Amino acid sequence: MNNYKPTIGIEVHLELNTNAKVFSLSKNNYSDIANTNINEIDLAYPGVLPTFNKGVLDKAILACLGLNMNISRKMHFDRKNYYYADLPKGYQITQFRTPIGLNGYLTLSTGKKVGISDIHIEEDTCKSLHHNGKTLLNYNRCGVPLIEIVSCADMNSKEEAMDYAERLRETMLYLGVSDCKIEEGSMRFDVNISVSKDDTLGVRSEIKNIGSISNIGEAIDYEVERKIALLEKGEKLNFETRKFDSNTKTTIFMRNKDTNNDYRYFPEPDIPYIYLDDEDIESVKEELVMLPFERREEYKKRSVSDINIEKLIANKELSDYLNMFLNDSIDFSIASNILLGDISAYLNKKRVSIFDTKLSRDRFIIVVNALKNEEISSKIFKEILESLMEDEKLDLDSYKQVDNNDEIENIVNGVIAKYPDSVSDYKKGKDNAIKFLMGMCMKESGGKINPKTTIEALQNLLNK
Amino acid sequence: MSNYLNLSISELHDLLVKKEITPADLVNEVFEKVESDKLNCFITTDKESALKRANSLGEPDKDNILWGLPIALKDNMVTSNMRTTAGSKMLENFVSVYDAHIVDLINEKDMIIVGKTNMDEFAMGSSNQTSYFGPVRNPWNNALVSGGSSGGSASAVSSRIVPFALGSDTGGSIRQPSSFCGIVGLKPTYGRVSRYGLIAFASSLDQIGPMTRNVFENASILNILCKKDKRDLTHIGKEEDFTRLIGESISGMKIAVPKFYVSDVIDKQVLDKFNSIKKLLEDNGTTVDMVDIPYIDYAVPLYQIIALGEASSNLARFDGIKYGYSTKNANNLDDFYKKTRSEGFGDEVKRRIMVGSFMLSGKNVSEYYDKALRIRKSIANSFEEIFKKYDLVIGPTTTCLPYEIGEFLQDPNRSFVDDVLTIPVNMAGLPGMSLPIGFSKEHLPIGMQIIGNKWEEAVMYKLAAFIEKELSLDLVPGGEKNE
Repeated sequence: MNNYKPTIGIEVHLELNTNAKVFSLSKNNYSDIANTNINEIDLAYPGVLPTFNKGVLDKAILACLGLNMNISRKMHFDRKNYYYADLPKGYQITQFRTPIGLNGYLTLSTGKKVGISDIHIEEDTCKSLHHNGKTLLNYNRCGVPLIEIVSCADMNSKEEAMDYAERLRETMLYLGVSDCKIEEGSMRFDVNISVSKDDTLGVRSEIKNIGSISNIGEAIDYEVERKIALLEKGEKLNFETRKFDSNTKTTIFMRNKDTNNDYRYFPEPDIPYIYLDDEDIESVKEELVMLPFERREEYKKRSVSDINIEKLIANKELSDYLNMFLNDSIDFSIASNILLGDISAYLNKKRVSIFDTKLSRDRFIIVVNALKNEEISSKIFKEILESLMEDEKLDLDSYKQVDNNDEIENIVNGVIAKYPDSVSDYKKGKDNAIKFLMGMCMKESGGKINPKTTIEALQNLLNK
Repeated sequence: MSNYLNLSISELHDLLVKKEITPADLVNEVFEKVESDKLNCFITTDKESALKRANSLGEPDKDNILWGLPIALKDNMVTSNMRTTAGSKMLENFVSVYDAHIVDLINEKDMIIVGKTNMDEFAMGSSNQTSYFGPVRNPWNNALVSGGSSGGSASAVSSRIVPFALGSDTGGSIRQPSSFCGIVGLKPTYGRVSRYGLIAFASSLDQIGPMTRNVFENASILNILCKKDKRDLTHIGKEEDFTRLIGESISGMKIAVPKFYVSDVIDKQVLDKFNSIKKLLEDNGTTVDMVDIPYIDYAVPLYQIIALGEASSNLARFDGIKYGYSTKNANNLDDFYKKTRSEGFGDEVKRRIMVGSFMLSGKNVSEYYDKALRIRKSIANSFEEIFKKYDLVIGPTTTCLPYEIGEFLQDPNRSFVDDVLTIPVNMAGLPGMSLPIGFSKEHLPIGMQIIGNKWEEAVMYKLAAFIEKELSLDLVPGGEKNE
């Protein structure tokens, strides 16, 4: 049984976060009160015509750039005709013949490249709610811009499929084209699965209704086993559409795909051809940020821990902040530690963006270097954090550790003279006494003396 | 009964500005005529709101020749204060939530929309016999068809119920009924008038245009219809004064007559009348050459593929869910669609949806539809070549005279054949006009067609105005000179 190899391809529908819908001026905000973001175009009133939101084009280009796609220079829209209650016009406007992006790829964590055959722009349908035997329609979602990202059948395990979904999600989040909320349906997955013992592809099934990345894994597990069991029994597989049931973690038959739907695609006559030139694409390129896989490489090179790398990727704002220092020779390990530790805690507590604090570029470099050179302790850092973030007049030098041997010796001598009992305790062999004396030294200095130098000085003087 | 509506708009404008008559007088006259209308021109009229509007217009605007004048719209242009049926049971009680772009433009010019004219169901037909609201009769002989699909607009203008009306033209639906009823009808260049609010039949062919008693009034109406509308991406919105060349000499103009337009399929009386015009033009300093325009003889089958393909998709929205007719007894969603659409659409519309769906199905898209689009491009190129050498193309508008109501009803191909001379113009996106040029021995109007290069409506009006002036026909049905 184990010599079956699964082959997996994934289609992703991603809602773009433009202000307006794609073919009408209604607000693109599905989550508002039902049927408030609608107009005559969304409702497919007789006589209406589509307009085209240029913002959708820019976001789609950005997504294409992020996935290394060839971008079409001449494209049009097509009508996909079918009848369903959630489709008010009786057709969906999509790109069938001239998708905006062709032949790109996404790099998985393992370094494997998964091909992406095409990206096309289309419109979302209404959201149907089935309630007490009735179907309710929410037109807020109707006409929300989507891109459909179609992968090649390049994945061979659930791990690869889940990684693909995760990497795609973070890439799109970083590009800022979508909020990528899987649970709210702004990112949706259809998974195509087949199994085969050799290099020929088996009969595939398409699994719809997958509501999370872990569901992708569960759906693949179930579907692969189901197919293998059928094949082992000598049964013939059908090309079918199934849906995932997250309660039972099984897939359920929906319809046979052999009775192929005839969508009667033809070019949308209401929208003229769209032409893109190099300038159009270059202007979008300016918005292209450093993507997660590139950031991982950079951080790894700079010895940031794996845990911190993932935490940074998950917090784009802090990662963006840290990236301001890619050309500076600061210690990225310390920098990432304080960003993800005390600074992150402060930002969360105050609900502010790091870019709105007084932690300027120069100040951050000074702080990281001071920590690195042990000029300030992490304790001091904690104490002055709020001032660091809020007070631009803060004099950092006054908090730097005293590392001057004479000065330290003076303090240590003072403490020894002040606590003779502890000195004699130490000499009697009570090790705790030196900790007390050390604490007193720190207190005398306001915590600014270098602990390592101090303890050495203390031991020297006591052992004299 | 007053008879102000037989006066030209310039004369009416004078009377209105001098306050010898008011817009309400004109509206009252319209409705006296509407009430005695035997032609079935209108599907819906609203006297009360028309009068209310007439009385609210305030002081006459002496710079606006259209101020206070009544106008009628073909019932496929949506209005928010009056139902819009498209001649169909499907939309029998449908009131739009918004106004078509041209409605806004008409209102801006202080004109008064008095009603919505009868039409073939969803503009599918060329004799106005597919209307759910019954056929429209020809004012010149009530036993005959008005032509279609803008038959109500044509009959209403011809019988002087209103001085002008708007029609829409996908394959000849303005020009053919204009020819049958003896009025001036223009289909502008594709993209000249916004289609926002025009119930789509075939999106790449549909265009709204004016239907009027004479050439000057036609140009005057077109003047106000072209304002830019961002809601129609196919709308170019070039504004200009279309009357500006009217009255200029036509001497030196170069005119082409496609051989296809004077073949033996054309009725002899139509052809004779056309030839007399040809001679008139030659006698007045124009060159008239017979030319070949490759591919125009394919226009009808192309139209059947392209127009019906697009229509099958455009009419999918009439599903009974959001507005319009809904069946009362369905078992499930599929059953609901089938019953709603079977009960709501008439036979001709169903036939065309089926043919169109077939044309786009499976492999047919590449075998028919894609091929049709390529040949369509060739037709446009053929015309482009002609317009490098000629100012205008002319020919008859129709192959025949108006026929009897009920005739050809069993022949589904008939309505396409009726449009054999008008369809090539839509295929090429050109402006086309029908102009009355005389009468048959039965005293039925005969029209000629003037086809211009893209955006050259003004040149067409120049020629049309010349012919109109030379002929000086009495175009009032039942008028004294006609007895």
